[in-house]
Amino acid sequence: MIPNTKCECGHQNLVGTVLCESCGKPLYDEDGTQPLEMRYDGVARRSQKANPSWIDRIWNFFSSVKVAIYLILAILVGGALGTIYPQENTFINIDPAVYYKERYGTLGDIYYKLGLSDTYGSWWFIALLVMLGTSLVICSLDRVLPLYRALSKQQIRKHPQFILRQKVVYRGEIKEDAEQWVSRLAERLRRKRYRVRTDGTALLAEKNRFSRWGPYINHIGLIIFLLAVLARNIPGWYLDHFIGFVEGEPTPIPDTRYYLKNERFTVEFYSEDEMAESFRKRGEVVPKKYETKAVLYECVADCGTPGKQPQLKEVARHDIVVNDPLEYKGLLVYQFDYAETPRLVAVNLSLRNKKTGEAYGPFRLSMKNPATEYEAGPYRLTLKQYFPDFALDDKGVPKTVSNEPNAPAFVFVITGPGMPQDGQVYLYFPREVDKVKYRQDEINGAFGAEWELSVGGMEDVEIANYTSYLNIRVDKALPYIWVGAAIFMIGVVMGLYWQHRRIWLRIDDGVLSLGAHTNKNWYGLRRDVAWALRQTGVEVDPKQLANEVKKT
Amino acid sequence: MVVVGVNARFRVVCMGKHKKWIQVIILLAVLLIGGFSIGSSLFSKESIPKEGSAAPQFTLTGLDGNAHSLSEYRGRAVMINFWGSWCEPCTREMPAIQSQYEKWKDSGFVVLGLNLDESPVTVENFVRQYKLTFPILFDVDLRMRNRYGVISYPTSFFVDPNGKIVQIHPGEMDEQSIEEAIRSMLDK
Repeated sequence: MIPNTKCECGHQNLVGTVLCESCGKPLYDEDGTQPLEMRYDGVARRSQKANPSWIDRIWNFFSSVKVAIYLILAILVGGALGTIYPQENTFINIDPAVYYKERYGTLGDIYYKLGLSDTYGSWWFIALLVMLGTSLVICSLDRVLPLYRALSKQQIRKHPQFILRQKVVYRGEIKEDAEQWVSRLAERLRRKRYRVRTDGTALLAEKNRFSRWGPYINHIGLIIFLLAVLARNIPGWYLDHFIGFVEGEPTPIPDTRYYLKNERFTVEFYSEDEMAESFRKRGEVVPKKYETKAVLYECVADCGTPGKQPQLKEVARHDIVVNDPLEYKGLLVYQFDYAETPRLVAVNLSLRNKKTGEAYGPFRLSMKNPATEYEAGPYRLTLKQYFPDFALDDKGVPKTVSNEPNAPAFVFVITGPGMPQDGQVYLYFPREVDKVKYRQDEINGAFGAEWELSVGGMEDVEIANYTSYLNIRVDKALPYIWVGAAIFMIGVVMGLYWQHRRIWLRIDDGVLSLGAHTNKNWYGLRRDVAWALRQTGVEVDPKQLANEVKKT
Repeated sequence: MVVVGVNARFRVVCMGKHKKWIQVIILLAVLLIGGFSIGSSLFSKESIPKEGSAAPQFTLTGLDGNAHSLSEYRGRAVMINFWGSWCEPCTREMPAIQSQYEKWKDSGFVVLGLNLDESPVTVENFVRQYKLTFPILFDVDLRMRNRYGVISYPTSFFVDPNGKIVQIHPGEMDEQSIEEAIRSMLDK
């Protein structure tokens, strides 16, 4: 059965209308005396229909504020679950399947298996966010359009039931001419910056209607915010890596075409006299400044092609200190941490004849992936063996105990003038301690007494003292997040600091019926009404205007 | 009164059409954005492979100077062995791997030895010393180690002819355990 939604004033209302769109007469609870429910001015929500189709049903689901509240609660609970244990993305290079069990026990294992180790990236959390966004759009649309319609064509003369069931009400006799009194009151209300419209002996005064749009503008801001957060899933929009950069070598930045070289890292400490007394007493060492001289390269060719060196082009250069990142096309590199990791990078060697003092070279010998052929004057050196971390096993056979150049050892075969036909084998330790420990000179024998490979001085030794840990970030969504947040704030301010106040009145046979409505600050509204009435000769106290809930 | 009635009905019909359009457009947008967001959260993550999952692809330079891709070995049973010359258990198991490789290579078995970012000269010497004949590939910057989630050395992955990981074996292996894995992959 289609309910009869036609009002006695002749207006045809939509299904779900609470107060007649035209005269305001309550369509339900006609004989009640309770103050009226004024939400959305009593108009029907868009989605309210007599025969909903399946699209309407989906629409109605999202249009419900109750559903929206459950969604918000679900997101709150879900978000809280993600804070129990650290999330996967806060660890570098772990196998979460193993790590959570080992570190946090059975509970951690359950946590991982439930997928909570990546709560905020999980499909269900994102699904909840998408649903909340949908609910925001549909809830707003379903309410703002009918509300706009209702507010933009308000009837001035309202049904007496509508007026007298407001929360601010006055009823009394008007002795003088009705129309004259109404126009006098209108003039007073205009002085209070009300927009007043009259229809004979009826009046509608209204101010700050725009504050009604606050919540909807606020929702637009939220939707932009939410879309921006979801846009981080677009490839290339969001990146957050923590990477260690050893001094000297360009290191690839994962998921980008960029390489970054830490040319030099420096750390400065506060001196004794710069420190406060309390620090000095504790004898603490307090860092003053971390700085990474960084160079950013873009890979232009052979990126990731096996067997080929990537071709790099310098694109940016910056001295990164805390809160002063390197910036290039939305890529931000922040100083994060450092570690002292003294490590030999390369030596610039010369082949020297100890007797004549002649030196050939120099050539660069790298500790990482050294080349196999070198030239020093007329001599040719072929690298036969390389042990980055030299040691002897129990049978006396040389081996390397790690892949780090902690005790590098090189075996060369040298050919050239005065060398044996099939070359002279020469063992070389770059570090002086290893040279002595493993008796380089004794092993090299008579040849070693005449020839040596050596550096000219400390300037020929390349050492990486520090690893600088940098935070690499890309967040293209950030400007949109700011825009969303700004619009959100504008909406909040509109709704919070202004109130939509309305006053309706009509005079029937010398009896004034006045009703007024606002969304908050009822005290202010009552004062406005009482002031205007007093100005026109009706003595009334603001408190008297409050419509008590009457029981009949 | 009649006119009002007609007007009202007309308005309802008009708005109904208009409304449906907005509804369909908004629900479609939700479906698109939601589908994309949820989809990318489901599929973007490169999870660490487990037994039963597909072996992550790679193309790496071999000691022979050529590029080797895992996909080239489709149809063969593959043992991917992560090793370093400095890792003692790795060096201990090498003779067993070499001997099993020789025994089964004609039946469709291959070993790919992924070296853990050592210098070529070091690797070359090691391979010569141990007389290894299977392809040795350079895992430069340990990218594949990270992709495969290897946390202890050696670790071996047995990939069946369909490219599926059937067994992950962390730690040193002997001839018998390698042979068992090969037999199960080749159904022999």
